[in-house]
Amino acid sequence: MITSSDLRAPWLWLSLAALVVLLTFIVYPLVNILTASFVGGAESGWARLLADPRGLSAILNTLILASVVTCACVLIGVPLAYVTARYRFPGKSIIALLPLITLVIPEVISAQTWLMALGNNGLITRFFRDYGVQLPSFYGWFGLITVMTFVYYTYVYIGTVAAISGFDVHLEEAAQSLGTSPARSRLKVMLPIIMPSVLASALLVFTMVVGNFAISMILSNQMPLLSVATYQAAVSEGGAAPVMQSTFATVSVVMVMLILFINRWIISRGRFEIAQGRGAKPVPLAGWRAAAIGLAASLIVVISLVPLAVIAIGAFTVSRGPVMQWGNWTLANMERVFVTAPQPLVNSLIYAGAATLIGICFSALVSYLIIKKRNAITPWLDYISSIPLALSGTVLGIGLIVSFNAGWLPLTGTATIMVLALLVRRLPFGMRSSQATLHNIPNSIEEASISLGSPPLRTFVKVVLPMMGPAIASAAILTWTTSVSELSASILVYSGGRETLTIQVFRLIGSNLMAYASAYGLVLIAVILIPIIVATKIFKVDVFASK
Amino acid sequence: MVIRNLAAAALLSLTLGTTAWAQEKKVTLYSSNPEQAIEAVASSLKKKAPEIRLNSVTGGSGVLLRRLEAEASNVQGDLFWSSSFNTVGAFEKLFEAYASPELAAIPEKLRYPGNLFTPANVHVVVIMVNTNQLGNLPAPKTWTELLDPKWKGKVVIADPANSSTGYTILWGLHKMIGDEKLRQLTANLTVSSSSSAVQSGVAMGEYAVGLGFEANGYPYVDGGQKEFNLIYPEDGTFITADFAGLVKGAPGGAAAKAAFDGLMSKETQTSLLETSFRRPSRSDIEVSKIVKLPEMSAIKVFDIDEKEAADQRDAFLKTWRSYPTAGAK
Repeated sequence: MITSSDLRAPWLWLSLAALVVLLTFIVYPLVNILTASFVGGAESGWARLLADPRGLSAILNTLILASVVTCACVLIGVPLAYVTARYRFPGKSIIALLPLITLVIPEVISAQTWLMALGNNGLITRFFRDYGVQLPSFYGWFGLITVMTFVYYTYVYIGTVAAISGFDVHLEEAAQSLGTSPARSRLKVMLPIIMPSVLASALLVFTMVVGNFAISMILSNQMPLLSVATYQAAVSEGGAAPVMQSTFATVSVVMVMLILFINRWIISRGRFEIAQGRGAKPVPLAGWRAAAIGLAASLIVVISLVPLAVIAIGAFTVSRGPVMQWGNWTLANMERVFVTAPQPLVNSLIYAGAATLIGICFSALVSYLIIKKRNAITPWLDYISSIPLALSGTVLGIGLIVSFNAGWLPLTGTATIMVLALLVRRLPFGMRSSQATLHNIPNSIEEASISLGSPPLRTFVKVVLPMMGPAIASAAILTWTTSVSELSASILVYSGGRETLTIQVFRLIGSNLMAYASAYGLVLIAVILIPIIVATKIFKVDVFASK
Repeated sequence: MVIRNLAAAALLSLTLGTTAWAQEKKVTLYSSNPEQAIEAVASSLKKKAPEIRLNSVTGGSGVLLRRLEAEASNVQGDLFWSSSFNTVGAFEKLFEAYASPELAAIPEKLRYPGNLFTPANVHVVVIMVNTNQLGNLPAPKTWTELLDPKWKGKVVIADPANSSTGYTILWGLHKMIGDEKLRQLTANLTVSSSSSAVQSGVAMGEYAVGLGFEANGYPYVDGGQKEFNLIYPEDGTFITADFAGLVKGAPGGAAAKAAFDGLMSKETQTSLLETSFRRPSRSDIEVSKIVKLPEMSAIKVFDIDEKEAADQRDAFLKTWRSYPTAGAK
């Protein structure tokens, strides 16, 4: 029931305002996509999709690819997490770099550097060819699976390592004391408990493969894939008659929704709660086992780092047109980024900065409403603000184009639509970490402030916000890094003069200018890394804790 | 307080950014040309018309034209550069006729009817070869050599539906060697979704042979990559003018026309030749004096009727798509 005191307090009105914002920029674009796919009767997107064998095989290929990559990521990520959480071995410290690598290396550059190693003329391909072994073509399945696995396994690793460290060894010891063998008890007791985390991260990988843009564009060649078909339809149709792009986008949304639904269903079937357990202490390993595990683990990490090395070298290598003169060094590429053509850098800083700032303020306020000031509207705020998690960047970009191309709010070609794309895409990061901390702030502190005569809004700003500080800082960093590296939504909504660093890298690679692309790529990495280093080293913010 | 100040600062920087741009005359170029070529135009324009700020949106020519079509109710682009006759023909209604004063230097036979488009440069089709990837095969000297099944999967071409380069080559071959031979050749071809992937694929050794324009392959020769060669087929090759157009209702207005004139000027065309090896459409620039490319007179050219190629585009593409390619299952 809404009482008159509810109407006097600002919370209801703030909730309503937040709801309007979310409806406009998340729900409205989504509804536009869905309806556009049905326009035209016999000529509707669905009729055309069913008549086009390429469209259908794109969907099938995407499902197969996502399943294979997800399995491969679990096969690499889970064992790696297990040995890291339970054992000590030489070279272990390098694995700590993993979460960072995922955030830092743009996918475009990953795909390109893998081609240099395993393409038809790659270093490894040539090595095998010298011994008479012909590797399959890197374009298509082989390349897509390899590159995506090495880009995404870290998500499974991060998700699992947290679960294994939180696992209570008492349970395992109890099982053993009841007569079960150590290996069997570990499997029987630990597996069900870490399973939800493994599953959640595996499904995250699945959805990311479905939505993947950069790697698919570069490596799929003629193999139809949903994300490539969606992008090509979006670029060629634009905002006026967005039929096929909307249809493909709807397919992708439905696919991801189904996955999230399955995830929820599996987790709800078996739930285990651990009451403040004692985490296992990593056991030191010695001898050949230590050497083997250390070698395997560091090999995986080193392979993940190869793209970084290639960019760093490429950025300072002399080039003439598309030809790289390896071994000759220059600062000319860097000069280009900062002096000759600095617009992409400036754009990235402004757009990602604005998106982070607005996103963090918005999510702090909305999370506060959801957790502390519940009313009839707040559950909806919660649902709607998590929708972007289920949308790929391409789908989001299409939604914005379709909705704000013309009509009552024309945003095409403005800086606003760029900021909006980043903001909406990364909003869930801010929401999740703000909500997590708010649960831990007792209501009594706030009530004390109000009973001492401070008005509600001022209490929020003066008392609650400072307590949310550390969480907000880490959410800000996460939002910043992921906004700066965003490509798939912004490449659809950008217009001339509004290129960001990632768009510029993508364009330069398309023009075969690897040296320039590397220089922009290196600056992109710096833009991502510097705030992380400053935050963790100087302000002691735990960036990855709230993820 | 801190948050409020930060928000104000961010808003301020956003508005400052946009007003600084508003004082300049913004012209947006939709271009399928590589970054180097766009930069040559931008830096030449900076000298000729310093008040113009040239922005660019890049992509395949077909993709950009369809984007212009989609934006017709809310025009975003001022200029389009470039695509061949056979591709731009289908999009005539999006452009307005403009007789640039620079037209005087461009030969009559290269021009577009009614000056709806203006030729900015001329492309020559070549066979690009990576000699390291040939194995035991001799480098092809003619088109017909590529019909042999031993070339299966070794030859790459851009998708004719998205690239005017790919279309020009396939249409020309269909006229020169006939449908049956084109079918045989197609069986050897790998189709790439973008034309820039053709030359980089050959340069990186992904493919032994690529079919494309001289101007896009020559940068690798100029860059000093020894195993990368350009071959002008002895049985004749195809040339095509690369057209630029002024978008109907271009938001840039007079500045768009000034930028268009700048694009056609002798200075820009010379710098385009120097930096990105595009042969000028103007007759007052001597190619071999500026770069190490053969003069047009030394190349055997098979003439094609550009209008016919444009009119039969859809029908031809439909037939060609029914041919099996090397990548198809």
